Amino acid sequence: MSLSSFIAKLAGATALVGLSAFGVQAQTSGEAIKIGAIVSVTGAGAGLGVPERNGLLLAEKDINAKGGIKGRPIKIIVEDDASNPDTALSKANDLIFGQKVQALLGPSLTASTVAVGGVTHANKIPQIAFTGIGPAVERDRKCVAHVLPPQRLNATALLEYAKSIKATKIGVLHDAGYGNVVMAELKPLADKYGVKLVAVEKFEIGATDTTTQAAKVKAAQPEAVFIIATSATPFRNVKQIQITQPVIAAIGSSSYEYVNAMGPAADNIVIPEFVVGEDPLPHQKAFVELYKQAYNSTPKNYEAAAWDAAHIIAAALNKAGADATGEKLCEAMKAPYAGVLANYDFSADDMTGIPITSFVFSKLVGGKYTRTPFRVAQ
Amino acid sequence: MNPRTLLWLVPCLIVWAVLPFVVPRNIADLLVFTGIYTVAGLGIGLLLGHCGIVNLAQATFYGLGAYASAYCTVMMGLPSIVGFLAGAAISMALAYVIGRPILRLTGYFLALGTLALSAIASALFFEWDWLTGGTLGIGGIPKLDLFGFLLDRPSRYYFFVWIVAFACMAVAHNLIDSRTGLMLRAMRDSSTAAAALSIDLQALRTKVFVVCALFGSLAGSLFAHHASFVSTQSFTVDRSISFLLIPVIGGATSIPGIVVGALFVTFLPELLSKLGDIHQILFGLALVAVVVLMPEGLVGAFAKLRTRFARKGGSHG
Repeated sequence: MSLSSFIAKLAGATALVGLSAFGVQAQTSGEAIKIGAIVSVTGAGAGLGVPERNGLLLAEKDINAKGGIKGRPIKIIVEDDASNPDTALSKANDLIFGQKVQALLGPSLTASTVAVGGVTHANKIPQIAFTGIGPAVERDRKCVAHVLPPQRLNATALLEYAKSIKATKIGVLHDAGYGNVVMAELKPLADKYGVKLVAVEKFEIGATDTTTQAAKVKAAQPEAVFIIATSATPFRNVKQIQITQPVIAAIGSSSYEYVNAMGPAADNIVIPEFVVGEDPLPHQKAFVELYKQAYNSTPKNYEAAAWDAAHIIAAALNKAGADATGEKLCEAMKAPYAGVLANYDFSADDMTGIPITSFVFSKLVGGKYTRTPFRVAQ
Repeated sequence: MNPRTLLWLVPCLIVWAVLPFVVPRNIADLLVFTGIYTVAGLGIGLLLGHCGIVNLAQATFYGLGAYASAYCTVMMGLPSIVGFLAGAAISMALAYVIGRPILRLTGYFLALGTLALSAIASALFFEWDWLTGGTLGIGGIPKLDLFGFLLDRPSRYYFFVWIVAFACMAVAHNLIDSRTGLMLRAMRDSSTAAAALSIDLQALRTKVFVVCALFGSLAGSLFAHHASFVSTQSFTVDRSISFLLIPVIGGATSIPGIVVGALFVTFLPELLSKLGDIHQILFGLALVAVVVLMPEGLVGAFAKLRTRFARKGGSHG
């Protein structure tokens, strides 16, 4: 068999597998409904943007395979903002005013979300961001929904797990970016949970060594350690200096990219998150299987968030009509929605409405995720 | 003004005035960014083309202008003009205080000194979240209001930004054409000879560095009122490098070259992004190609080409 014919057969087989994953195809016809998406496929946010793009494209196939929006297909136009808010703003202007999309999904990063929100809010274009709600100005933007939890909820989830293991003296290692934001929410909540933060150590984003900070946390003799960062470094350092107390990490470091970089340190770490691809919840199973077939890898939170965002806007379009105005779509969106990642309620004040009960608590054991039985009760 | 200049200036002005109304909004938005980057790039061009100084700290002054506007308008509720003035004053003062010692350095050492300034400022923008909002930034910066006329869309803001850019170009042109410009070129071409002619090199360099900071700050304030949001991600060392590219690509000694450079760094990434994930590699290759093949920038290469054709035309005639 020549190389070219082998490649052709392989491509054919892949296409067949891909199509069969969506079962019986429903027919769609007519002009496609355009939905814009801005994700960070390159730059510092690529770890988020690439999985989000995968989730979006899979959702597009799924929605169209199920008949689209009242028989009309949807087309998700994905643009890369290179992790830069200025680029995100230009892309949003292009998608909204140039390509005339009906709604916008993304961006991946908070700064870009706030920048783009200025355009979508002013022009009443529905937007579903792949971030938790950020600065105060976002509370006034009632047409910008969020499919990831606000940082206050992430901080609450960490404290709920600490409470469950009866840890009241906590040491915290956090970075100067994402970690700083979660930390700002964690401090006032700690008192409410009866938790004393015995050591709070900050390190630079991209730091290659945090041993000094980890040693200070160890010296304070905490009963558990929180790591709030988007980096594998603090996890490695915590193991190197033999901190034996339970380590609880925020969702920011849950991607496989970070877990692989942790190496042998990816062990005995608990993460409050949403999707454990190795052991999904019953309502997540179909999505996880579909994703595995399409991409030959296991999805996590950001893939699921993007999948949910596309389906939420599709549901709003189905409810309000394919040619509905932005304002009507926004109104249609403001309702509870049971997603793969979480149960949302976009009529909530934080434009997310994710309850703490949507969190699952995974545990890294020998570099593999397992789902713990712990859930926060209603 | 001679009739020949008028012959090309009038059509150019007409095109400039009509452009935001005929292009799609995203292109108008890019033209606004081109104007903002022209203002920031002019300062770098003055330093690079006329003093031989590589300034990698422009994002610092750009950030100071943007944060001053954001803080004054959002946090303190002051009029926008206060933000512009505060940013300019802080940037110029900082440029003077930092410039006096570091402008004693020359060549690569000076470039590294300015790079260090940019890195320190970038870290402080992150750390001083009580002032800058840190990672979350400051949102809700009001659009500029000129005597009741709200500049709330790119086609309106375009005119304001470009009028500021033209004013900055006029300042730069006057500076280059003045006695100071002559001293600058003397210093660039032979600092020893210039010093022998009793030119105070350090004072001169500091003066241009302060002007550069003023332009950077103005650009930052313009950016803040356009984006309505500022965060640390817009003022990193990467942004300083982008600003340096503007005169390098367009032509450091020519003012139109700065506009060409600003067009290059705003439009090319946008056009290349249509080609998929490799767009950043392609942009890098385009940069290398311009720098290697056109060491005097795009405007310099165009001037050479025009001279060559003129000579050919002359020999045939």
